[in-house]
Amino acid sequence: MKQANGSPLNAAEDRELLRRFHKEGDVRAREHLVTRHLPLVRSLARRYAGRGEPLEDLEQVGAIGLLKAIDRFELDRKVSLATYATPNVVGEIKRHFRDKGWAIRVPRALQELNARMSSTIERLTSRLGRSPSIAEMASDLGVTSEEMLEALEVGSAYTTLSLSVGRGGEEDGDPLETIGEEDTNFERTEHRASLEPALHHLPSREREILRMRFEEGLPQTQIAERVGLSQMHVSRLIRKSLAVMRDELA
Amino acid sequence: MPEHVTVAVPLDEAFVSVVRIIVSGVAERAELAFEDMDDLQLAVERLLAEAGSEGRASLSFELGTGYVRTLIGPLREHGLAEALQRLDRTPGHLTLAWVLDTVVDSYGVEEASGDGIVVRLEKLVGEST
Repeated sequence: MKQANGSPLNAAEDRELLRRFHKEGDVRAREHLVTRHLPLVRSLARRYAGRGEPLEDLEQVGAIGLLKAIDRFELDRKVSLATYATPNVVGEIKRHFRDKGWAIRVPRALQELNARMSSTIERLTSRLGRSPSIAEMASDLGVTSEEMLEALEVGSAYTTLSLSVGRGGEEDGDPLETIGEEDTNFERTEHRASLEPALHHLPSREREILRMRFEEGLPQTQIAERVGLSQMHVSRLIRKSLAVMRDELA
Repeated sequence: MPEHVTVAVPLDEAFVSVVRIIVSGVAERAELAFEDMDDLQLAVERLLAEAGSEGRASLSFELGTGYVRTLIGPLREHGLAEALQRLDRTPGHLTLAWVLDTVVDSYGVEEASGDGIVVRLEKLVGEST
């Protein structure tokens, strides 16, 4: 494995940076580790390119896997950071696909148009200083508004599998099965009044997104920037989270 | 002069995607921003999810200058009106009322009768919530 400047990654240097981060709380060492291993993330993300998701999104979620690996790395491990990080990065990318996995078969052209929308939204939001309209997005993408809306809707054709995966990874039990007996006695009005009991069963990322949207009142574009996902992905996670929480309490 | 669009939809989860397309089409005509359209879809979706799974509801859209007003009903599920009035913003205590309060500019129970309630959702054009 090589780092950005082409020189081989030095495991001893990694270990020293990990030590500085974990023992001394040196966040610059953490940033340095991220920079050194981004080429690994890009390389792994490219393996999953061409499957209907923008490569940029895959690299972003892969980088989250890298950060988790750095944060969780125990200094007495005998493996290199690159070896340890690889399954974390791949796992995060796979989770992203599960989040957006196509539950129904949709025409490839629509999938591709849907995939192009994320970057279009980001670019237009940045250029206009506000969320673009459907017509503005359609014009930018060179399609009709109807095609835009159709492609947008096929993006909703995902599974809800991701929300059955706990924060600890794939091995975790299904949180839907961890609801306590007392929850079954909730009156429906109480369910509507508070989704709180189900909130705690969501993965931490989804909980944080809901907190930012509803407690901080942040728009999706700002949340997307903070968590390193596209605005469309944030939108889907919010919808899925609310639907799953409601289903848990039904 | 406002334009009106009214459709009746089955209260069936299988029709959620149809509802989303209808809302997005209306939002496009009203020139709502993408995020505002997404918010309106979420509000309609969450309300319909609470309205049971039998019968049908009417979705009535009024496209006026600078706003889209949506009336949904009748929604017969018991306790919905009460839940909509409980706006408690205690952190970590997410409620249906809180969700609606976040994603639309105003909402409320427009009518209440033996058939159920009609809920109003209003979204302003160019006023991202």
